[in-house]
Amino acid sequence: MKTTMTMNFLEKKLAEAGRKQAALYLFCNFVSLLLITAYAAMMFSPTVLEVLPTGGDSRKQMIAIFVLALFGCVVFTIYASALFFRKKSRQLGVLMALGASRKKLAPGLYKEVLILSGISSFAGVLAGLPFVYLLWGFFRLFIVESSQMTLRLDYRFLFLSIAFFFLVVTSSCFTAYRYLRRTNIMDVVHEEHKNEPVKELGRWCGPVGILLTFAGAACGYLAPEAYMKLFSALPGIWINLLYVPVFAGLYMIMLHTVIHGWRAHRKAPYKNIIARSMMKFQGRQTVNNLLICTVLIAGASFALFYLPTLGVNSYLEVRSRSFDYYYHYRLDQTQVPAQSDIAAMAAGYGMGIKDFRESPYASLALDGYTYVFDDDNENSYHIDHIDLAAEGKFFSASAYRTLTGEPVTVADGTYYAVTNADETNLPFLDSHATFLTNMVTRQTLPVSFAGYVHYDMLADSFGYYILSDRDYDAICQGLTEDWMGSAAFFNADGEDSPAFASDFFYTFVNSFGPECEHTVQFSRVVQTYFEEAGEEYFYWNDPMFQISYDRPDDSSFRAWWSYMPKIRLLDQEDFLKTYAVFLMMFLFISIICILAASVISYTRCMTIALNNRYIFDDLKRLGASPAFLVQEIRNQCGNVFRLPALIGMSIIYLLYALILYVNDGKITAGEAGGMAVSLLLLLCIGGLFFSLYRYTVKQMAKQLNISVPKRKH
Amino acid sequence: MLHVKKLYKSYRTGSKSYPVLKGIDLTVASGEFVAVMGPSGSGKSTLLNCISCYIPFDEGTITLGSQELKGLDEDSLARIRNEKLGFVFQDFMLLDGLTVRENILVPRIIQGHVGKDAEELAGKLLSLFGIDGIADKYPADISGGERQRTAVARSLINQPLLILADEPTGNLDSKSSQTVIESFENARKQLGATIFMVTHDSFAASFCDRVILLKDGCVWKNLEKKEDASAFHDRLLSEIRVMRKE
Repeated sequence: MKTTMTMNFLEKKLAEAGRKQAALYLFCNFVSLLLITAYAAMMFSPTVLEVLPTGGDSRKQMIAIFVLALFGCVVFTIYASALFFRKKSRQLGVLMALGASRKKLAPGLYKEVLILSGISSFAGVLAGLPFVYLLWGFFRLFIVESSQMTLRLDYRFLFLSIAFFFLVVTSSCFTAYRYLRRTNIMDVVHEEHKNEPVKELGRWCGPVGILLTFAGAACGYLAPEAYMKLFSALPGIWINLLYVPVFAGLYMIMLHTVIHGWRAHRKAPYKNIIARSMMKFQGRQTVNNLLICTVLIAGASFALFYLPTLGVNSYLEVRSRSFDYYYHYRLDQTQVPAQSDIAAMAAGYGMGIKDFRESPYASLALDGYTYVFDDDNENSYHIDHIDLAAEGKFFSASAYRTLTGEPVTVADGTYYAVTNADETNLPFLDSHATFLTNMVTRQTLPVSFAGYVHYDMLADSFGYYILSDRDYDAICQGLTEDWMGSAAFFNADGEDSPAFASDFFYTFVNSFGPECEHTVQFSRVVQTYFEEAGEEYFYWNDPMFQISYDRPDDSSFRAWWSYMPKIRLLDQEDFLKTYAVFLMMFLFISIICILAASVISYTRCMTIALNNRYIFDDLKRLGASPAFLVQEIRNQCGNVFRLPALIGMSIIYLLYALILYVNDGKITAGEAGGMAVSLLLLLCIGGLFFSLYRYTVKQMAKQLNISVPKRKH
Repeated sequence: MLHVKKLYKSYRTGSKSYPVLKGIDLTVASGEFVAVMGPSGSGKSTLLNCISCYIPFDEGTITLGSQELKGLDEDSLARIRNEKLGFVFQDFMLLDGLTVRENILVPRIIQGHVGKDAEELAGKLLSLFGIDGIADKYPADISGGERQRTAVARSLINQPLLILADEPTGNLDSKSSQTVIESFENARKQLGATIFMVTHDSFAASFCDRVILLKDGCVWKNLEKKEDASAFHDRLLSEIRVMRKE
């Protein structure tokens, strides 16, 4: 037995002795790789990419949160490797002290590090795929199932995972190299107990941090618009750097909390002094961890806000409708079912229809101002007045009255725009037109804006307007059917039938010709302007606007088709289905970020316990009771869990409120409802972190051989 | 055996430099058991770490046997630590995952060959220091005194020129301290070991042939033992009192 004692034997035995640290290191790498692989798999998945349009805000947010998660996981793996080496350094130091040269130690150390980092990272990448399938499968099984939810993967995502894999392995080997290069052996031996104090700043750093955070958030959000106004050009991606003060601010808040705390200690200067000093002298890693977790929790919360915001808005909008059905169509679409056809279809489902109303409208061009991009610089533009700036659907005053039952008086030479009670579609309405154009005869009518009338069901992304009867008749002279349309409402007589609602929807969609297969972003007026200017109309080249009659259940079709009808029953029941991929992707992102933050916080707490074992042992010797020791653990653990959750969630909630407010200068009832539900969700996340905090306290106490006393009720 | 001449060492913190050793001169003869004592901050541990080649020194020379240590590369220094020096630390520095026997053999394992001779020597050391009964136990399962005796045995496995001991009784109760000092005496008498020990413990120092008193980075006095341990202990204490007053 003894003759087999070689360096190999020694390294093997020492690796066995350090298996607890190795297990922690394996776990950290495994989880990081798993989460990043899972996120990357979904981010590259055609299932998701077809729903989140290129260049759209939702895709940008998905990528931005990925960058944050990646940053968090990279820092976390570097931290895990530093932690492993802190523990390993004692073994290395003793061997060096006993005469082992670097050359002697290097092969064994690199082998161990390569095996540990390689296996854990590879396992993380491998486990990422089943994780994605399981979680997505869970969503499909328990939350929502639709044809769009079928998961398809583009395996190019593996390039990201492999890059991360190599980063983890390389950084581990680099850390090993750094340890071997150290010349002061005593430093290596005592590395484990070395303090990592943070640079101490004055008490000003907390308030300044708060200011910086809010200033950075406001600045980053408002800067693109300000830049466009100032320079008449689209800002580059660099403008996002203006968010950097948010991170500096958050860092300062964490620093202040770790060094000074937020409570005044003058009255009880010795309260929590042990916990505070422990935090302070191992502050560098703690502050880094707190910052990463804050950012991850903020990302998770932001991703989660989509669901309530869309859900509540949709619920309130559908509930406030005065009719069960609304649809409109171009008059040249002759296959669209007429009132009698609809009634017959309803009868087939044993129901009737009532309150049928229908009124014609005309599609006219409005003049206005538009961005004209310079030929030599794609980002620079100037604003020009053009005759064919936008397309609007115009009712005569009497047609509007017939349709809605609301009387409206419109003076000749003026026009009204139709909006809803919250006036949420104002950005889509033109209140500055000075004349209208008949697109067939090119006859024009001078007009001025008279104001808004409110009718919720007619407020959509493609504005409705009202002219006086005289003006309407005059401007519509010679207008052909393709520039004329009709809008209709009706109610179900008795209880509505989901089968009828569905049949009506598909029949309606199938009755349209290919000339109407476009989204609300398409305007024939603007297309004419581009054609006459000899330029290409951008709409057809933008994949963001692609829809197809073949996929009428796609979220993009239902959200953006120019002639999408409003069907109360369908919109109520199919809401989740329609937006399934979109909502589930953001729920997925949220879960990934919460998992990452939870694992990082838990690991940090456990390492605090490992590193400070001797302090707790000393306190025990000094007669500290289990209750006192557990309180110290709670103080440590509390900061690690409470701060990121509180700060991350509050900041993102305030930023979210700011975004909603800045969008249209007010918070609507739907937005307020969405915010209230979001707040409830945040409380749930808070509850989740609280449970994890309690579990971690128990685990830390177990690690330190302290029995947790039962709380008195 | 060991010659230290004009040894200077300072530590740097930011832009400030703090001198710790200010021209130390000392010699240790073969077979001698020498202690270094002095107040905290006098430079005892720094002196030991410089002789051990654990930290680089600024000026002066350290000669071990016929080998000058300054200017040697990392590999040569490692070889010297392994073959010509033995170490005993205050906190034992045993490897937790190895048994007592394996810990004793670590310096040989580092050399790359654990032959029969090494195993026999390990067995001899185990019985010489009274730890043969715990040879297959792990450090976590034995007492502080046993751990330190294991460390002494480990320091002797390569039959080094010099054993360097840094506060070997610092973490031990008086009974364990006594057994460790006895181990050193046995090593000297039966194996001809040369021992250079840094200590705060005047009782342990009183068993040495000579005690070097350090103060503010300089050798304050060299006390040779001419009497029995108890009388030497009294003289040592009175010299320390004088040194403190100065």
